[in-house]
Amino acid sequence: MADVTLENITKRYEDVTAVDDMNLDIKHGEFVTFVGPSGCGKSTTMETIAGLTTPTEGKVIIGGRDVTNLPPKDRGISMVFQNIALFPHMDVYENISFGLRLRKYDKDEIDRRVEKAAEVVQLGGMMDRMPDEMSGGQRQRVAIARAIVRNPDVFLMDEPLANLDAKLRVHMRTELQRLHKELDTTIIYVTHDQAEAMTMSDRIAVINAGELQQIDPPLTCYNEPKNLFVAGFIGSPSMNFVEGRITDNGFESDDVNIPFEPAAYNLSTGADVTLGVRPEDVYLSRNSREAADPTPPLTAYSDVLEPMGNEIFAYLKFDEEAESDMEEGVMPGQLLISVDPDTDIAEDQEVEVVLDRAKTHLFDTTTGNAITHQIAPVDTAGASGADAEVGSGD
Amino acid sequence: MATDQDTAAVDSDTATGGLLRPITTWMENLSEEAYAYLLLAPAFFFLFLVAFYPLLDTLRLSFLVQEGRTAEPFYGIGNYVDLLTGEALIRRQVLDIALTSSFPFIEMGAPFFRQALFVTITFAVASVVLETAIGFGQALVLDKEFRGRRWVRVAIIIPWAIPVVIQAMIFYLFFQPTVGFGTDLMQALGIFGATPLNTSRDSFIIVLVADVWKTSAFMALLILAGLQSVDRSLYDVAEVSGASTWQRFKMITLPLVLPALIVAMLFRTMDAMRIYGVIDATAGCSTVPSLTCVVVDTIFLPQSGVIGLAAAAAFFTAVVIGVFISIYLLFFADSEGGYF
Amino acid sequence: MAAESHSDTEYGRTGEEEPELDRGPIEAWAARSIKNPGRVYKGLFYTAMIAFLLTTLFPFYWLFMVALTPSGSLQNIILAPSTFDPTLLAQGDLTMGTNPGAFVEIFERLPFHRYMFNSFVIATITTVIVLIISSLAGYIFGRLRFRGKSPLMLLVLLVSFFPPAAFFLPLNRLFNRNIGVLEPILSDGSLYNTPYAMIIPFSALFMPLSIFILTTFYSQIPDGLEDAARIEGTTRLGALFRVIVPLSAPGVATAGVLTFIAVYNEYFFSRLMTDPGADNWAPIVRGILGYQGQYETLFNLMAAASIVGVLPVAILVVVAQEKIVSGLTAGALKE
Repeated sequence: MADVTLENITKRYEDVTAVDDMNLDIKHGEFVTFVGPSGCGKSTTMETIAGLTTPTEGKVIIGGRDVTNLPPKDRGISMVFQNIALFPHMDVYENISFGLRLRKYDKDEIDRRVEKAAEVVQLGGMMDRMPDEMSGGQRQRVAIARAIVRNPDVFLMDEPLANLDAKLRVHMRTELQRLHKELDTTIIYVTHDQAEAMTMSDRIAVINAGELQQIDPPLTCYNEPKNLFVAGFIGSPSMNFVEGRITDNGFESDDVNIPFEPAAYNLSTGADVTLGVRPEDVYLSRNSREAADPTPPLTAYSDVLEPMGNEIFAYLKFDEEAESDMEEGVMPGQLLISVDPDTDIAEDQEVEVVLDRAKTHLFDTTTGNAITHQIAPVDTAGASGADAEVGSGD
Repeated sequence: MATDQDTAAVDSDTATGGLLRPITTWMENLSEEAYAYLLLAPAFFFLFLVAFYPLLDTLRLSFLVQEGRTAEPFYGIGNYVDLLTGEALIRRQVLDIALTSSFPFIEMGAPFFRQALFVTITFAVASVVLETAIGFGQALVLDKEFRGRRWVRVAIIIPWAIPVVIQAMIFYLFFQPTVGFGTDLMQALGIFGATPLNTSRDSFIIVLVADVWKTSAFMALLILAGLQSVDRSLYDVAEVSGASTWQRFKMITLPLVLPALIVAMLFRTMDAMRIYGVIDATAGCSTVPSLTCVVVDTIFLPQSGVIGLAAAAAFFTAVVIGVFISIYLLFFADSEGGYF
Repeated sequence: MAAESHSDTEYGRTGEEEPELDRGPIEAWAARSIKNPGRVYKGLFYTAMIAFLLTTLFPFYWLFMVALTPSGSLQNIILAPSTFDPTLLAQGDLTMGTNPGAFVEIFERLPFHRYMFNSFVIATITTVIVLIISSLAGYIFGRLRFRGKSPLMLLVLLVSFFPPAAFFLPLNRLFNRNIGVLEPILSDGSLYNTPYAMIIPFSALFMPLSIFILTTFYSQIPDGLEDAARIEGTTRLGALFRVIVPLSAPGVATAGVLTFIAVYNEYFFSRLMTDPGADNWAPIVRGILGYQGQYETLFNLMAAASIVGVLPVAILVVVAQEKIVSGLTAGALKE
């Protein structure tokens, strides 16, 4: 069994902490993806598992064996690299068999395994090609064959699809999932592309600034993000955030007011909170019946529309006079919503929208931690509770 | 495939087994820094044994006694003083008049070591200037595309690649009055005397020409590298703006090649100041004394106990070269684009 | 401008060819040249090229002629030996009055082949040592980040600055000393008159250039390849010799060729670290100078020996000229 455990892994360079006290438990056969923005420490974490970097503190345990001080070759792992890293001076056969030849397997065994690996990645009949005679996709297959031929306990993949074109990338994603099923090994996968992470993984480990933010199945990360970072990072386009504070009536900000009972979430009046809602959980109020549990309508003005074919992304602003700012992301005072493609909506219109309470999140603005992933309406949250709260407050 | 899993892990342990295993494991676990020092150790062992230790030992020896001058074993800077004032027990003290009269800086009877210093520096400056000029010419020729360029390049490199002793032999035979026509030719032109290889001034020129013949190619190659790194489209731009060939050379080629040129000149200067072989094998060290000549001559003096003197001469040579390098670096540190 | 002036001349030439005939060839040439400076540059270019070829190659040709001249008639050799007479061919003298025998005699008078062999062995062993050691150093300098890297590189550079004379004295004393440990290997326990007396200093003196060349080449190999090799089962050192070195083969070859040439050509230590005898591992320097006897100097044999001595490097230059050019460039620009 090849469980991978990281215990308090910390990696410091001279003045930078690349990985900060990372604890992870990956079970045998799991497909775990490390996601995060570039420079967040996900690659360094993988390199510590591979043994290409020695952690400053902490332990790496693979299959119950403390491998922290073992060189990469003795860890029972293999790896696929972002830049594919085929040896340019070796042909396909030599590339795939490199590790086996180093370990002095006998010729027949090497042939048998190479053939099998090539079959798995559908690379038959190319054994004497040189890497520079192959397409990007073929090279990637060779790299994968080289990694699986040794039957590693753990399979590390460092952005293996990053250098492929978009179409091939989608195709290879499916291939990798098929491979995972076939091989029944642990796969640890690094990517900055959250779509890849969502589609392939059993669990996603979201990493930021060297710290593990959340490790959960993709949908859990999507529906119940543990903090503002995860909420903002997972999902494309990203979640809308509105900063505001708690009053006796619920959430209040310049543009958005949502009534609810603060005490139900142990919130005290005056606390700074951030409301988060995904674009697809905001509805035009004329379609409000689609929302499971709509909030009172909010007035906004449509700005830019981005028809995507299967949906329309509409940028709304609360202040009609506000200059539309086409910078990256959604600015304060703006709301990005996703509506049906056949919705009757035009630019520069007044619109009324509602949020779906069941899909509205609240985060503590100072710590960033999630408070709740749904906001119950005042009447159903238990009027008695609210009364009691008011009573005691007096 | 999953069934093979366990055997793979075992293989990897046994394959590299044996005695080496503890060593390789130890090496693999060294930190980046420790590993760097370990692999640099052999190189620095050689450099220490052959360069750093001898250099320091030369310095130490240079302060030791010159026999017969003092009873104390420690002689301080005495050897250096002796060398520069002409008090040293060096075999020859006087450069012949032909050289001193044509080089007014050095008066007759100047201490031999100062003559050597003068010869070395004059040689270095003259040879580097000539080699840069000729090397530039050769580089410009090689920079052009033409049929047979490969062979022209070979022809130009070959003198650089031949042994010093053979280079010396060519010029030795050429100016050997009984064999070569060089003496007759130069005498007819009124430049040389009847026995150029025994005359300091003539020999100096012979050695200079021999050096220029051999090492211009080195300059040419380095300058060529600079030329070929120039973006060709710049020439098109200049041409469109109406620059003549000469203006293009002056305003584009020269400034862009300058860094490579300076590096090449630095190398050549260092090398020229070590001049020894071609002198020893043509005119001989007594006719054209260079600093290295003085060191070698002193080491092999029949008197014992002049080791300190030889060491002083050797270390002094190193210092002179060091001074030259510093001058280069001071003047050109900026224009070199941070090579140093 | 070129296109314009070019069409100008095309025009000018066809139009004014006739009157030029009256002016004489030099004036005509001058007139054409003024109209078309490109023509002058072209002329200059070929003049310069021919001048360079003559000055570099004529000395070799002349040396060869000296070698072919019988030792009794070594005067007035300019383009051919003074005894050269093609008419002798008719009388069945294939040498036409020259003396190719000199190329045999050099091996009879002195064991010149042994001197060549000595030089060859010394150069080869030095090259191997330099390549191995500077591969390690080049790998470290080119691929690792560590404290003290720049000062150490500067230290390496420093070695190439100092004159051999500054190292010679202590080394000469060291090599002449009896070193007890070495006695079982070397007859008298001292390194003098052994190839090591040259291999050791050469290894150090020519190492810096190789280190700089290899540092440049090794630093260009992508990190991923080294990581991949280590994951696949090599050690760090294994990755160097299985992946980085093979991929840098041109650089390694360059460093090797330059080191070989440098050692083969060296004069200072070659002359001073051994006694003249071929059995003392004296290199070709001693061989060529050996024809300079006390009573007679065999000039034609010196020339013949020089020609033979040049051959190995000449062949190397023809074969490896690209590598020499790129190596000098890489080495110099790095520093």
